[in-house]
Amino acid sequence: MDSSLIVQYGPALLRGFGVTILCWAAGCAIGLVLGFALMLLRQLPIRPLQALIRAYIEIIRGTPFLIQLFLLYSGGPSIGLRLEATTAGILGLGLYGSAYFAEIFRAGYQSVPKGQVEAALSLGMSYGAILRRVIVPGMLVSTLPAIVNMMAILTKETVVLSIITVPELMYEMQTMAAETFATFETILGMALFYWLLVEVVSRLGRRLEARVTRFLSHSSNARA
Amino acid sequence: MKFSVILDALPYLLGAAVTTVWVSLLGVLLGQVIGVLVCVARQSGNRAADIAGGVYVSFFRGVPLLIQLLLIYYMLPLIGIDVPPLVAAVGALSLASGAYVSEIYRGSLNAVPHGQSEAALALGFPTATIWTRILLPQAFRISVPALVNELILLLKASSLISVVGVAELTRTSQTISASNYRPLEIYLAAGCIYLAINGALALFGTLLERRLQEG
Amino acid sequence: MTAVSEAAAPPAAAGDAVPMVSIRGVGKSFGTNEVLRDIDLTVNKSEVVCLIGPSGSGKSTLLRCVNFLEVYDRGDIRIEGKLVGYTEGTPRRRQSNRELRTLRRNVGMVFQQFNLWPHMTALGNVAEALVQVRGMDKAAAAARARQMLDRVGLAAKADAYPARLSGGQQQRVAIARVIAMEPHLMLFDEPTSALDPELVGEVLQVMRDLAADGMTMVVVTHEMGFAANVADKVAFLDHGRIAAFGTPREVFHESAEPRVRQFLQTYHERNSF
Repeated sequence: MDSSLIVQYGPALLRGFGVTILCWAAGCAIGLVLGFALMLLRQLPIRPLQALIRAYIEIIRGTPFLIQLFLLYSGGPSIGLRLEATTAGILGLGLYGSAYFAEIFRAGYQSVPKGQVEAALSLGMSYGAILRRVIVPGMLVSTLPAIVNMMAILTKETVVLSIITVPELMYEMQTMAAETFATFETILGMALFYWLLVEVVSRLGRRLEARVTRFLSHSSNARA
Repeated sequence: MKFSVILDALPYLLGAAVTTVWVSLLGVLLGQVIGVLVCVARQSGNRAADIAGGVYVSFFRGVPLLIQLLLIYYMLPLIGIDVPPLVAAVGALSLASGAYVSEIYRGSLNAVPHGQSEAALALGFPTATIWTRILLPQAFRISVPALVNELILLLKASSLISVVGVAELTRTSQTISASNYRPLEIYLAAGCIYLAINGALALFGTLLERRLQEG
Repeated sequence: MTAVSEAAAPPAAAGDAVPMVSIRGVGKSFGTNEVLRDIDLTVNKSEVVCLIGPSGSGKSTLLRCVNFLEVYDRGDIRIEGKLVGYTEGTPRRRQSNRELRTLRRNVGMVFQQFNLWPHMTALGNVAEALVQVRGMDKAAAAARARQMLDRVGLAAKADAYPARLSGGQQQRVAIARVIAMEPHLMLFDEPTSALDPELVGEVLQVMRDLAADGMTMVVVTHEMGFAANVADKVAFLDHGRIAAFGTPREVFHESAEPRVRQFLQTYHERNSF
């Protein structure tokens, strides 16, 4: 590969990488917040709401991400929802992630021992305080591996956004490949780059996990 | 929303869904073969095989499927293999699936108590027999839920092969909505078909799991 | 309701004062299964009452009804004269969470499984409710938490996470967490049942000290020695009913109730070697 290509396409690729990171970060943020909200709403004893949330989760998890993107980006205008490609991409990524995060959080919520909540209740703590101080920290520990894993999956899903013309890294790379005819080399470079990126995300996640779970390092002597 | 549009397109969409299903099934079946081979290679005790298997698993799990697909699609002609896009697509799905399946089997093998192969060794079983008679049947049984799940994942992932022009469900939806300007209806219909197939698969998985638990 | 002076020396059983706990005609069912039937029980200030009986007799359920962790269906439970879990008057309605919180503030509970929060240190566990419920500032809460840990003999373990403590130490932290809130009443739900035998003593000692300081306690326990030596009253539950009630002497030595005799017999056989 010609090194002058780097000069020529470097800025575009860098910009593309910026868009990738933006989409990933914003998508994760929307997914986490919405997923957490869905999990909380699902705890309310309102049957129709529970059914609705469950249907949402099953629909998102049962259909391809690409179809969801097409629906949002191409189908949206039919109902007056006109989104720019990048906005649609971020929103799509967020909605997609939210269903998976909601399930992860639900499992985490259920994994917090009931007794820890009862102890807080018996001390007169409010539900808000119990959620903040007891349930969420407890959940964090049990769900962190799954959250990190999902965030790594979302890193990979960002490349799908190129199909709806979001100008992220994959899109810029394909433009470059088409213009230079160095298609295979470019794609191989991409493969190696994403391999590295996903590995870095996973590793950082594992390090974070180790930090968060430090206090669990010694097992209890209590019979249980 | 016009539902007549969906009715008109339905025969084409269902036909394309058949392609989606068999491409995914083929991908999972080949993925099974690759997965078992890689898993056995990594457990064989041969260091080179272990490292090669590890790199394979790491690469195909770490690189986005879309890139794997394009890589294979563009690589085959370069090394002089001229195949239709469909073959490249199935190849990419199988290779990706194989990486995940080998990890599923690795987890399941770890769940088979070590004492069982020791007992077989003590009885004088040859290594190959221990694999085929003791370890793999149990690993398979433990793996069933994960494998059905893998099929569902692959079915969804197969939508990506639309980019190399394979006329499966997603590609066909794109083609139809580009000609009738009704993307909302068409993609909704496509989504429902994916959902129905995956729902059926999930149900099948539950039944299969129950059967295996009884047997 | 008459005002009860906090400062007054605790009389053994002031006949004219409002009882700390008054349980009248309480019943509870899970579906068709009646787990509590027509329970009457009075606990006066500074009394220690032990609930004993075979497993499944309803003693833990009864205890959990007292702070409404478990909902009772029939009858009244009153703490210092105030109805627990329901509003006064008929038809009665459930209390709001806020009202329940106000009530629970004065009722401490110690659990079989300790239920410490694993992500907080021993000190953090004790200080948490002081900050969240009492609204104390962090420094004051920490100082008070340290005192309480000292009281249960664990000042040195203030910065340890629960996973690093023995079961007995965890249970003492759980007790410190409760007494920091200065409860008027403490409920103990089999506090030593999850402990290795050699760790039971340290927890019982802390409980004895509390009783000696005049704490009102209701204790579900299998430790007959503790019940015999520390309790003012013992209630024997069987199939959701109080089958025998009285001083330890009356229940353990003078009761003619055959179920009590049989239970104690089984207990003695299991503990003799």
